[in-house]
Amino acid sequence: MTRYVMVADLRRCVGCQTCTAACKEGNATPPGVQWRRVLDLEAGTYPDVNRVFVPVGCQHCANPPCMEVCPSTATGQRADGIVTIDYDLCIGCSYCIMACPYDARSLVDRTEYAFGEAATAAEAARADRRTIGVATKCTFCAGRIDAGTARGLVPGQDPEATPLCVNSCISGALSFGDIEDPTGPIATLLAENQWFRMHESEGTEPGFYYIWDKGKL
Amino acid sequence: MSTPAAREIRNVPSYCYNCVAGPDLMTVRVENGVATRIEPCHAAATIHPGLGRVCVKAFGLVQKTYNPHRVLAPMKRTNPRKGRDEDPGFVAISWDEALDTIAARLRDIRARGLLDDAGLPRVAATFGHGGTPQSYMGTFPAFLSAWGAIDYSFGSGQGVKCVHSEHLYGEFWHRGFTVAADTVHTRYIISCGTNVEVSGGVCAVRRHADARIRGVKRVQVEPHLSPTGACSAEWVPIKPKTDPAFLLALVHALLFEHERRALDLPFLRERTASPYLIGPDGYYLRDPTSFKPLLWDEATGAPVPFDTPGARPALEGRFTIAEAVTRGPDDEVRPQHNVAARTAFTAMADAVQGYTPDWAGGICDIPAETIRRIAAEFLENACIGETIEIDGETLPFRPVAVTLGKTVNNGWGAYECCWARTMLATLVGALEVPGGTLGTTVRLNRPHENRLKSVQPGEDGFMVAHFNSTGRKDWLAVPSGRNAHRTLVPIVGNSPWAQALGPTHLAWMFSSDAPKEWPAPPLPEIWFAFRTNPAISFWDTAEIGRAMARMPFIVAFAYTFDETNHMADILLPDATDLESTQLIRVGGTKFVEQHWAHHGVALRAPAVAPQGEARDFTWISTELARRAGLLERYNAALNRGAAGAALKGEGYDFSLAPEQAHDVDTIWNAVCQAATAELSHGAEVHDLDWFKRNGHYVVPFKREDWYLYPTMVRLGLRFELPYQERLLRVGVELGRRLHEQGIHWWDHQLDEYVAIPQWHDVPERWVQSIRDMGGDPDDYPLWGITTKVMPYTTGNNAGIPLMHEVSANLRNHGAVVINATTAASLGIATGDWVEVRSPIGATRGRAAVVQGCRPDTVVIPGQFEHWKTPFAKDLAFPSLNTVVPLSLALTDATGSGADVVRVALRKVAAPAEAGAA
Amino acid sequence: MASRRQRYWDLRAAGNFIGGGTGAGLIITAALAAAMGAPFRLALALGLGFVAAGLSLVWLEIGKPWRALNVFFHPRTSWMTREGIVAGGLVPLGLFAVATGSTAAAIVVALLAAGFLFCQARILRAARGIPAWRQAEIVPLILATGLAEGSGVYLIAGAHSLRWLAFALLAGLLREAAWLAYRAGLAGTAAAARSLAVFDAAPARLARGAQLAGLGLIALALATGALGVTFPGVTPWGAAVLAWAGGALAALAGWGVKALLIARAAFTRTAAIPMVPTRGGGGSRARQTSQP
Repeated sequence: MTRYVMVADLRRCVGCQTCTAACKEGNATPPGVQWRRVLDLEAGTYPDVNRVFVPVGCQHCANPPCMEVCPSTATGQRADGIVTIDYDLCIGCSYCIMACPYDARSLVDRTEYAFGEAATAAEAARADRRTIGVATKCTFCAGRIDAGTARGLVPGQDPEATPLCVNSCISGALSFGDIEDPTGPIATLLAENQWFRMHESEGTEPGFYYIWDKGKL
Repeated sequence: MSTPAAREIRNVPSYCYNCVAGPDLMTVRVENGVATRIEPCHAAATIHPGLGRVCVKAFGLVQKTYNPHRVLAPMKRTNPRKGRDEDPGFVAISWDEALDTIAARLRDIRARGLLDDAGLPRVAATFGHGGTPQSYMGTFPAFLSAWGAIDYSFGSGQGVKCVHSEHLYGEFWHRGFTVAADTVHTRYIISCGTNVEVSGGVCAVRRHADARIRGVKRVQVEPHLSPTGACSAEWVPIKPKTDPAFLLALVHALLFEHERRALDLPFLRERTASPYLIGPDGYYLRDPTSFKPLLWDEATGAPVPFDTPGARPALEGRFTIAEAVTRGPDDEVRPQHNVAARTAFTAMADAVQGYTPDWAGGICDIPAETIRRIAAEFLENACIGETIEIDGETLPFRPVAVTLGKTVNNGWGAYECCWARTMLATLVGALEVPGGTLGTTVRLNRPHENRLKSVQPGEDGFMVAHFNSTGRKDWLAVPSGRNAHRTLVPIVGNSPWAQALGPTHLAWMFSSDAPKEWPAPPLPEIWFAFRTNPAISFWDTAEIGRAMARMPFIVAFAYTFDETNHMADILLPDATDLESTQLIRVGGTKFVEQHWAHHGVALRAPAVAPQGEARDFTWISTELARRAGLLERYNAALNRGAAGAALKGEGYDFSLAPEQAHDVDTIWNAVCQAATAELSHGAEVHDLDWFKRNGHYVVPFKREDWYLYPTMVRLGLRFELPYQERLLRVGVELGRRLHEQGIHWWDHQLDEYVAIPQWHDVPERWVQSIRDMGGDPDDYPLWGITTKVMPYTTGNNAGIPLMHEVSANLRNHGAVVINATTAASLGIATGDWVEVRSPIGATRGRAAVVQGCRPDTVVIPGQFEHWKTPFAKDLAFPSLNTVVPLSLALTDATGSGADVVRVALRKVAAPAEAGAA
Repeated sequence: MASRRQRYWDLRAAGNFIGGGTGAGLIITAALAAAMGAPFRLALALGLGFVAAGLSLVWLEIGKPWRALNVFFHPRTSWMTREGIVAGGLVPLGLFAVATGSTAAAIVVALLAAGFLFCQARILRAARGIPAWRQAEIVPLILATGLAEGSGVYLIAGAHSLRWLAFALLAGLLREAAWLAYRAGLAGTAAAARSLAVFDAAPARLARGAQLAGLGLIALALATGALGVTFPGVTPWGAAVLAWAGGALAALAGWGVKALLIARAAFTRTAAIPMVPTRGGGGSRARQTSQP
């Protein structure tokens, strides 16, 4: 089987928001909507302080709470683990947004443009009315993955088959691939390092792994 | 995703060099003629240290292109009055009218002479951010060269607010205009304020991330927890402007708290001037015949010239020298008989004897044990005696580095810090060797593309240094430029970049308040401005604005209306990043941290047609040259290499016909072919069409050439360290010259010309400046400093909504960062409006209350407070520049200031009204 | 700052929980009244009106109102689908019961109403992105407040005799207990700190005050009637006013709390990372941490 997951190495992430911008631009999300973003968190008390940058977004959970609550079956799940939204089924009730423990989903009611008054040529070229009034979120760039795998490319290895955020990450924090491939780079990365997943107690089985240290000896 | 019926998709190669950390390579995706997104240049992944990627700023270039607020036609001013509150009354005009207007003035100036009655150029030009505009101005450098004398004195912050002192001292000591750790090989880094994870660029961010995984320890010494501090193994919250004490204490620790043999003694003996003997008058004791500096030969027990073969130099000691001479200021040769001498190394040890970690701890607010431990860790990791193979060459391996950042390496205290960080490297032989502290490029020396080639043997066994003369005959008593760089700053020299690296704030200050000893500098008759906004990016921005308003004729290459071109007479819309053509050099080693194993050239091809009436800068330059009667000189400059490559070389000639006005593609086609012919020694020649498909062309760059050490060894040269005998002499001479003119207002700066830097109370200078401004320091109890976030490190992104949106994820964006305890004591919570005030002004913003900041310090990121730039003017963000004064007293000997000021902080009810000071 | 106030379910969504809660509670009270021979048709109609009004408000809020029928597609796991299905039976059968005055129909409608209210409570409980809704104690709270609001309105739209005053008082006390349990639950949930702060602020205190005042007035009305006590100046007409005021406050208090719960006190979970990453060698700064 295949399950695509994202790995964020928190030792590498510098909070630059390059992935945030690459995703926004690549997916033409409207102002205020960020499918991928990086949080800026702090812990401790002066002078013993830590500051951590945490990439977040849809975790493509194995047990997605969004899918459970969706009344219209617009939210679905592929065999490869990618959680999807059928924009044509969604009624825009926002229940999935309430259900997501990762604050990963958004909904906009009307078209807005970055500069306010009118669309730029780039916005007009990418405008998609189907995404107005419905829930949207990170898709793991499923279109790129499918187009890539159809040509024999490997998601996570070949840039054309890889999510745009991973391609853009300048520190190398983000990695992507099939966790079910036992000798593949993702399995290796997770075997060799210590990691956690967020809000595991919710039972969501997220497909987003955070590395925090190299493996114990 | 939307799927229109027929979609033509092009992927256009380009580069991003919007900030000094570049250039990096990228791809512009164009759908049906519209640029829709930026992507990495994956094809460059094997040659670009950042895997062909670009940072967040580059992703704003699509919005930049289609910004509805762009100036898209040439414009002229109709309201003759200039000022912040005057509406310029810009109206659109034709290119012909715009260019003819400018050309007429240029021809008129040429007829009267390029220099005015004060001997200053009538034409001035200012470009922003560290030379990067050069990669977006097409062939404009050829126009400037064809013109002749131009005054680059008016700065916009670069040159004084950047790592300026280190530019000058770093390049002087080890051809390090900018400096980086050899991150790929290092193990331990002491970083005093270098903010790599924000402004280091794509290559540095990747390399430092790799280093962290490898287990490299970086200690970030900085008053607040920047992203770099966050990504470091240790954060040391130092009190602002006390870094000299910290670094001098580290030097002390290495010299006095560890065994001497733990240091790299061979390096000190052979590669530095440590063994040179110093006489009682403070100058090198020299051989009376050859004037060569002497060292003590342990083999013969006698003083010998430094380059005596077979000599075994004594590193330290005190000796009696029977016969010698010293060469003092103004060629005074002083005979020395039976004088007490000590080696330069001993002089250094004597000079830092009092700088114990306990002493420094009190000044810096750092525990002495921390300072000691850091010194010990530095020494432990230095691997003295070890070697490493780099591409088949065996080089010393010293994986420890020290780097400095803004506010540490500019302004008072910077000389001490730069010297100390260089000495820390030197003591363990980690200067310019694998793993150590490396210079990355040169700008005062040439050639710019290869700093190693700029190393020539000079006097006394050192590299040649092209100082401005301070001698009686040749010192430039009357300034040749409005910032008087050749007169006031000997170390900056007189190469093409020197003026822009002079004390550029003095040009602004002197424009309204000139020293009486010099002829009052008339304002330039034409001022060209491109990719620069001094009204936002300098200090005392209100005063800068007033100075600009007095300029008689300003030609601004305008992207949108902004606070600087508000004062312009003509606006010219140049085609921006994705709309124009240019070939630039990439790779090798460059500015910030871009050590490649290749070097070559990359093309920025037009991805889309220019919006509106915007035109390619190359076309503008050619037209200006033609209309100003400079076409032949312009083409000659191009042929000589003003566009980046000489068009004629051994075995190739792509010269342009001198009397023709060539179009954009013709020019760049010639440059493409010449550049590839040069790089491949004639083996491969690629034209513009090839570059439009392939983007870049590189050849191998020896990794050995990352390091200056082999060149120094090959030429038998020593680093001019530790003792600054030349600076001592130059300082005395400069003092004499200035006093002969009756000039005493540069005397404080003369204090910096000491042979071994000494601690002076650096923070007190800023406290004193409060008194000088009529304030009481007790009313301004906090230190105000600045920092950056990556989306806004440069490139004038303030008007790009995407950058603002993504930056909102960062806690300090647009905020005043305050320590939680300090905030609580003032009743301030995150989100409250606060005011930061100095005697010259106030700025307001929302508070970001954090733990990661010293209680006595507030931090204002970025440079904002726009009042004209669309989108930015509605942000209501604070700016430290509003409250930092332009001050001669706060200018060091290199002509630098620093972004630091004493401030008051209080909670307020609301942001200030628009226009309020 | 990783926790944000949700901004998608506004007062229109709150209106659904208000209309649904009060309406269901009123329908249940009306059915009880029907079973005991008390007036019920007006109350039943009003209850249906509340439910319908609430659902209409939701219809106005969703992004694609003309696809509203898609809401029925996921009964297997979605409480919102189930709510819709139950409503689909509740409204027509309720109208039938009002039209015919059938007690049997009224009782079936009441069971559907109870189911509807339960679905609403479970909708909130399943919202794992909002700790204040995810709180287990929210289910009894929603049920109890629905009953307290509905039984309060019944005092105005149905009857305010001793029996119904006692019922309203009992429902009100159940709601008190449910509220205290919910608050205690919130206090024990670290992720709910910002929600708790909203419930400590003035608007929430006002609603709580109304809740307690309503209880007090109902108790007073009950005491006045039950003990046959005649207070000086309190006429039978005055006792009715006490009952109506108490009932109104019982409803308004519930509405206020639900409006705050949905539109002001609903904060997303923060990002919590259990370990701080190491950044290079020489002594790890890794440590356990969780964000407030």
